[in-house]
Amino acid sequence: MIRFSNVSKTYDNGTKALRNVDLEIADGEFVFIVGSSGAGKSTLIKLLLREEVPSSGAIEVNGYSVNRLKRRQIPGFRRSLGVVFQDFRLIPTMNVYDNVAFALRVTNVSTRDIRRRVPYILSLVGLASKARCKMNELSGGEQQRVALARALVNNPKLIIADEPTGNIDPELSYEIVDLLNEINKVGTTVLMVTHEHDLVAQFNHRVITINGGSVVADDADWRRR
Amino acid sequence: MKGSSFTYLLKEGGRNIWVNRMMSLASIGILVSCMLLIGSAILLSINLNGMVNYVENQNEMVAFLEDSADDTLVNAVKSALDQNDNVDSYAFVSREEALERYSEIVPDSLLENLEADKDEVFPLSFRITLKDLSQIEESIAKIESIPGIMQVNAPTNVAETVTGIKRAVYIGGSGIVVILLSVTLIIIANTIKVTVFNRRKEINIMKFVGATDLFIRMPFVVEGILLGVISACIAYLLLWGGYTYLIDYVQTQTATGFSAFLKNLVPFSQVAKQLFASFVTGGVAIGVFGSMIFVRKHLKV
Repeated sequence: MIRFSNVSKTYDNGTKALRNVDLEIADGEFVFIVGSSGAGKSTLIKLLLREEVPSSGAIEVNGYSVNRLKRRQIPGFRRSLGVVFQDFRLIPTMNVYDNVAFALRVTNVSTRDIRRRVPYILSLVGLASKARCKMNELSGGEQQRVALARALVNNPKLIIADEPTGNIDPELSYEIVDLLNEINKVGTTVLMVTHEHDLVAQFNHRVITINGGSVVADDADWRRR
Repeated sequence: MKGSSFTYLLKEGGRNIWVNRMMSLASIGILVSCMLLIGSAILLSINLNGMVNYVENQNEMVAFLEDSADDTLVNAVKSALDQNDNVDSYAFVSREEALERYSEIVPDSLLENLEADKDEVFPLSFRITLKDLSQIEESIAKIESIPGIMQVNAPTNVAETVTGIKRAVYIGGSGIVVILLSVTLIIIANTIKVTVFNRRKEINIMKFVGATDLFIRMPFVVEGILLGVISACIAYLLLWGGYTYLIDYVQTQTATGFSAFLKNLVPFSQVAKQLFASFVTGGVAIGVFGSMIFVRKHLKV
């Protein structure tokens, strides 16, 4: 579960990125966070990932009190999440298999389990045949699927997707969100940040709209508005 | 950390060297150059010191005994010299030996005048070499105070010069090594900084998938160790080859008039172990600490 309680974030240069944000996302939900550039979406993600700490308020994610985490507790917290970024953030010197296996290696999973788990996840995202390919041999959509496989491989309770379709073709965007939709159906909470309203409209999920650092709308069924 | 993770991190360190081979080559090149410079400075300093020591050892002082000296007194002087910490070696010179030496350097006509009692003309003496010429004044005073010693002749001027040169070689040599070491550290620190900066995205990704700081640092540390050891081996072999060749070449140049000095050049085998150990220790320490320090900056995510 994700809970933001009266969260504000002001950066050192005085920019007020978030103002008194209150929101709650239950386990198993699929939520879109929408908003224009500079609305505060990125700051929200940074706070969720403990890349930044709030100036005031409290954040709870997967049972972790995120704003109170000690430095040594951060890796453990991040392992409970799966994150997908707009720019994929894959290691270009590693092949598809190693990029996915990497997320398991950092958690001390045995080589035997890695060999079992990675091919299964790659087949889920439709990349089983490309396991030995390098990143520069893949299309944008395929790279994002590798990133999704990496986010899924640890079996996280929550997937955070930060503009996952921002760098790929519109027709492939639907595929990616559909994949996230399938993942959500098996009980994984999905939080997807995007500014593509057309894409959001194709799915029947809760939509939280942020503007000027505040939550301005929280619609359970945005499509029907 | 599990065994499989440890093996993985070791492999990653090795793989990183290959994947970033241009940067690895640059790092090795810089490390080897710095080690060669420092190694050459050390060898030069050791050899200069050896040459000064050689000159030092050539300087003898002569302690003359009283005319009445007998075997008992000679033995007493010998034991007094044995107890003197600064005496490196001494040789007793009998009246006959003194005459013999004298006859080698003066014309026979002069010796004819001594014919009557030439065996009695020269006093008994000790030719003494000192360990540390800088303490020559104190040593002369001590030796003069030994009962039975009549007079001590010592090359105090030469001693002062040699001591001065020795001090200059020591200070100059240490200074050069310290300067080179500082320059080396700055260059290597920058090389590691660039290497780590090039891979900051990789570090960032590791942080977001939940890697601990130790897990992220380990491959960099392994890489640092491997680059340090590889560079140390290359620098050692180059220095060994170059120095041995130079010694062989110089020692064949007998016409230079420095043959006595050249015979005293330090063979590489004499300093090989220490040099290799310093290179490996230095290389590994720089690799490890450099990686630890510069990766740290990118871990704050």
